[in-house]
Amino acid sequence: MTGFESFVGINPWTALFTFCNMLITFSVLKHFLFKPVKKMIDDRQQEIDTMYADADAAKQKAAALEKEYADHLQSIKDERDSMLREATARAQKREEEILNEAKNEAASIRAAAEADIAQERKKAVNDLKNEIGGMAVEIAGKVVEREINESDHQALIDEFIRNVGDAS
Amino acid sequence: MNGPKIYFTIPLFGGIDITQTTVSSFVVMVLLCVAAIVLGRDLQKRPGRRQVLVEKAVTMLYDMVESTMGKHNSYWTPYIGALFLSSMCGSFIGMTGIFRSATADLSTTVTWALMTSFLCWGCSIKRNGVGGWLKGFTEPIVVMTPMNLVSEIAQPISMAFRHFGNIAGGSVLTSLVYSALATVSAAVLGLVGKSFVVGILILVIGAALLYSGVKSKKMARKIFGVVFVATGALSLLGLTGVPYLEVGVPGILSLYFDIFSGGVQALVFSLLTMVYVGNACPPPQEA
Repeated sequence: MTGFESFVGINPWTALFTFCNMLITFSVLKHFLFKPVKKMIDDRQQEIDTMYADADAAKQKAAALEKEYADHLQSIKDERDSMLREATARAQKREEEILNEAKNEAASIRAAAEADIAQERKKAVNDLKNEIGGMAVEIAGKVVEREINESDHQALIDEFIRNVGDAS
Repeated sequence: MNGPKIYFTIPLFGGIDITQTTVSSFVVMVLLCVAAIVLGRDLQKRPGRRQVLVEKAVTMLYDMVESTMGKHNSYWTPYIGALFLSSMCGSFIGMTGIFRSATADLSTTVTWALMTSFLCWGCSIKRNGVGGWLKGFTEPIVVMTPMNLVSEIAQPISMAFRHFGNIAGGSVLTSLVYSALATVSAAVLGLVGKSFVVGILILVIGAALLYSGVKSKKMARKIFGVVFVATGALSLLGLTGVPYLEVGVPGILSLYFDIFSGGVQALVFSLLTMVYVGNACPPPQEA
């Protein structure tokens, strides 16, 4: 039978079909669209939250490590500085010691050398005296060709030498 | 104005009528289910363009439901979404010209409105028990009981008739305007006469007027020229059998009555459902 329904009216069969269609649409939409999409969004949100939390934790850890390293570095620097200071002080002390030692040694060497020189000089003067005396005797012997009394002779020479020494 | 056409009747249980509404509603269901399965398939953590759009739409629906019904009722979203989409597609399907709008049949809207009411009652009974639900009608005072009963009964009826009336009325108006425009275009055609010569003559006069108007910069001649050219062209169109007035104007009306009204009614219907069901399911701490 074909025809038209009334414009304003309710057909119970149509209502039933509509009801069933609505139920099917609802369950299909829920099962295939809303649930998976919502789950995906929630999963992603959770993942992002986790990632942010991880990143924050890593950042904090890195900051802590950085601080630790900075402290460590500072302590090393301090230690180095103190060591340097100590070493410098020690070196200065040692330098002074060495200098003093060297000065003392030099002074003692100088004193010894001066003493040596004085002795040598004395010796040289004596040698010279003797030689000049001998030479003078010889020359005088040759000149006068006569024997002079040894003791007079010696006195004469000494006097001469003294005069020479005084002159020089 | 007729109701939905009955295609045939299955001779079971005293005759099951298969009407235009039955078919439309079935087509809408199939469309929505296929769309849901296609769009909800193959979801990735890093979404493509399609998935972004789908997620945006789903999130919007969830936000809408949560802002209207509260966070604890967000599990209602699939039902509200199904209702909204069914209603909207049920209205839009009338625009195809093949199907009649499913929502232009009172059977459809009454069913949906009754579903909303039953959901409300179900929620109330689940929360307060049957006694608590019945007692709710006597609040705030016993004298209000008849009023409460009337409002409870009026609620689905008003929802159903609002939706039905908007869509059906829209289609009635559109067809009225359509037939009226057919009359008008026939009248315009009769005015010019059923002769090609007259039409061409008017067109030529109009073109000449327009040309001289543009040349001498006279506004009046330009306007007359445009009117003459339009009349001539339309009469020629009418002579060739093109129902020109029926082409453009109903399209604009249809824009309002089918698209705007269909969308708004779908929104209103789902919003009302959300509000009613949300009232029946208050937040857990208040229960």
